[in-house]
Amino acid sequence: MSPVDAAATNVGAGNWKGLGMWAWLLFRIAGIVLVLYLFAHIGVISSARWSSRHTLNSAFTLFDHPLFVLLDLLLVWAVLFHALNGVRILLMDFGLGIHRHKAVFVVCMAVAVVSLGFFALKAFSYIAAHHAGGLGGLI
Amino acid sequence: MSTHVAEPTSPGPAPAAPAAGAGPAPTSGRMRASVLDSSRGGMWGWLGQRVTAVVLIVGLLTHLVATHIFNLGHLSYLNIGDRLGSTFFVVIDVSLLAAAIFHGLNGARMVVLDYWLQSRASRLALTIALWVFGSLTFVYGTWALWPWISK
Repeated sequence: MSPVDAAATNVGAGNWKGLGMWAWLLFRIAGIVLVLYLFAHIGVISSARWSSRHTLNSAFTLFDHPLFVLLDLLLVWAVLFHALNGVRILLMDFGLGIHRHKAVFVVCMAVAVVSLGFFALKAFSYIAAHHAGGLGGLI
Repeated sequence: MSTHVAEPTSPGPAPAAPAAGAGPAPTSGRMRASVLDSSRGGMWGWLGQRVTAVVLIVGLLTHLVATHIFNLGHLSYLNIGDRLGSTFFVVIDVSLLAAAIFHGLNGARMVVLDYWLQSRASRLALTIALWVFGSLTFVYGTWALWPWISK
């Protein structure tokens, strides 16, 4: 390996490498989950075209269940993690923050967590308002 | 600590001696090829993935905030119609549909190419199959939204 190759393959090494493996793995898992969700989503929304608007409305009633609201929250987390880790990858492609790789990742994850907070607040207040007994509605 | 692009600083008597652990010259060539090869999906797949990523960040943010932050609890057939009555949301939803299908299928393609399909012909077959499937899904998705859009 030439010195140039060695330097290129070790950009952002050190503390980043272990964390980077998890970022890569979760990015990939979230991506696979999201692509499966995409086709399920297209399937559900298009059901109105196959039968009637009532089919779609009854699906929405099912998704109103607290369990589905919590699953939605997991989905939002998959979107946010994938999106913000994707932002990090875009920044690295432009060579931005390439020597502060770990810090860029931490900032991106902080943005993701704060954004998730807004959705979590909305989801939990929704469950509390629409289902007597709040999460007790799960049982 | 800075990343040091090592200069051949050593004025030692044996400048020809390679760095520890380095193989002979051909290994270096192969190494470089494998670095380039790490984006096996090709330049256009790489670029398309990044362009659609930007579309998805803007579009999904709009989609999720409009649907779940502002309209939470009122999701219904008619509620979708209200949003799709505006040109803005038609543009957002249809471009999201196209970008998400491309990004999702191209991403799945990257995963497949990381582990399977070594031959050029089988990779091309996968690419063509995904383009056909993705295009059909886009047409189907637009068809599904059409009653709302055309109203």
